[in-house]
Amino acid sequence: MQNNGGVPAGEISRLTEHLFRVEAGKLVSVLTGVFGIDHLQLAEDVVQEALVRAFRTWPYYGIPDNPAAWITQTAKNLAYDLLRREKRFREKQTEIVVSVEQWSSDSAVNDSPLFDTEIKDDRLRLIFTCCHPLIPQEAQTALALRTLCGFSAAEIAKAFLTTEAAIAKRLTRTRQKIRELRIPFEIPSGEEFSIRLNGVLQTLYLLFNEGYKASSGENLIREDLCYEAIRLGTLLADHPLANLPRTHALVALMLLNAARLPARVDEEGNILRLKEQERSKWSRPMIERGILHLGHAAAGDELSEYHIQAAIAACHCMAENYQSTDWLKILSLYDQWTKINKSPVIALNRAVAIAKVNGPSAGIEAVEAIQNRGELDSYYLLYAVRGEFEAQLRHFEAAAGYFRKALHLTEVKSEQKFLSKKVRALRSRVPGIAG
Amino acid sequence: MKSTQTTTEQLLLFRGTHWHKSLSPEELQNVMSQWTAWFDRLIEQGKIKSAHPLMDEGKIVAWKKGQTVADGPFAESKEAIGGYFLLQMTEFDEALEIAKECPALKYGMMVEVRPVAGLCPALHSVHTQLAHATP
Repeated sequence: MQNNGGVPAGEISRLTEHLFRVEAGKLVSVLTGVFGIDHLQLAEDVVQEALVRAFRTWPYYGIPDNPAAWITQTAKNLAYDLLRREKRFREKQTEIVVSVEQWSSDSAVNDSPLFDTEIKDDRLRLIFTCCHPLIPQEAQTALALRTLCGFSAAEIAKAFLTTEAAIAKRLTRTRQKIRELRIPFEIPSGEEFSIRLNGVLQTLYLLFNEGYKASSGENLIREDLCYEAIRLGTLLADHPLANLPRTHALVALMLLNAARLPARVDEEGNILRLKEQERSKWSRPMIERGILHLGHAAAGDELSEYHIQAAIAACHCMAENYQSTDWLKILSLYDQWTKINKSPVIALNRAVAIAKVNGPSAGIEAVEAIQNRGELDSYYLLYAVRGEFEAQLRHFEAAAGYFRKALHLTEVKSEQKFLSKKVRALRSRVPGIAG
Repeated sequence: MKSTQTTTEQLLLFRGTHWHKSLSPEELQNVMSQWTAWFDRLIEQGKIKSAHPLMDEGKIVAWKKGQTVADGPFAESKEAIGGYFLLQMTEFDEALEIAKECPALKYGMMVEVRPVAGLCPALHSVHTQLAHATP
């Protein structure tokens, strides 16, 4: 034999980026529906095995015409074998086997609209399970990344800047907790749905922010968290039950902020402020999708915090350059936001908008109001913002003092670099300032 | 006299069938892409005579207490063979270099490189002597 039907060169590129990760997320949900939520780990293992089989055969025999369907079918066959073999499934065997058989009899699984709906339902069920209020927040995001997004414990650890062992332990404990507390694998109904959906949206929002904050190019996987949060959010927005204005608002806010990620650092990994960013690097497709979701979010009279944040992000994305940013509109959005949420961090952001509209002195006044409330005393950005305003007023010595204070309070490397640069620049203006 | 016995084939045996258990889907896809590119190149260069992955099922047949026994499967282990390449080449060192390029090495897979014996050396020497014998 000369050739085993090996893949012609370049064919591998037919595989969509992240195909394995995306399929893993889908299949774990579906298999959890088959095995039951108590056997979440088993579902994860079966999916892993299906992917390993793809890995072991595709390079030799070529990529199948429909790679996703191949993986699905393999996972099903493995699940079917396992159900027949394992004693623990004996009682529910008939019931499960029937469901697997129905599942297997549909040969064009991935094209079947019925199957598609089932996947969507199973995924929604798993999202609600992962984001159950009885599960601690940190564990919610870790489990969602593992089961719904196909991340390994090592990858989650890297994203959360912790050890693989810690994440593995957290995952094991969470699966155990789901069993012990009998957390159901179901979409909540009635009034509970709305409350639980808020919890889910909140988790995705936190997941997104975890990835968005302090991303500095040295840890790309953190940006992946943003994209996964968007993927899960889009999944919700696509589901007839979760297709609500606030879901779209959350997706819009994530897309419109993530669109700017490619422009956020320079070649050396330094953080670039909005002002310095090359706007041509912003992702147009993401902005377009974001605006579309913002449109859906406007249906009805609901105005969530997600709506306001999405609208603010849209103002930035729509401005052709920094100078033409509609600060007046942004300020009015912050005014609305501070009315619903008393968080001092939002007030601090509002101070920036105030300074843009009414000048740095007005900005300082707003920052002082926050300081007078005794809040954010150890938040580096408060001092960084104040320092910026002082510098604009040519109070260089005061500015340098604030920047140094900010520098001491942050542990984020890229921020430290940025602030040291500020202090150095000021030192050249005022001879007496020590670095 | 230096042995003139030559081989025209080298065998790469891929050992280890559980190294990918802890790999993430993303990593699996990446290693697979690299593996495919590696395999394609060797095919294009005409260096692969035959190659297959092996299934995990399987048994080892042996003689125990006066009868044949079939044990196994022994699929999941560091040693188990998960696949092979039969390379068309005379130089062992070239096969060794190819084995070193295996993209799964850094994830824990091992590659065993073995020259395929042509004729057994003893017989080879008899053949040579016969060929040179004068009638």
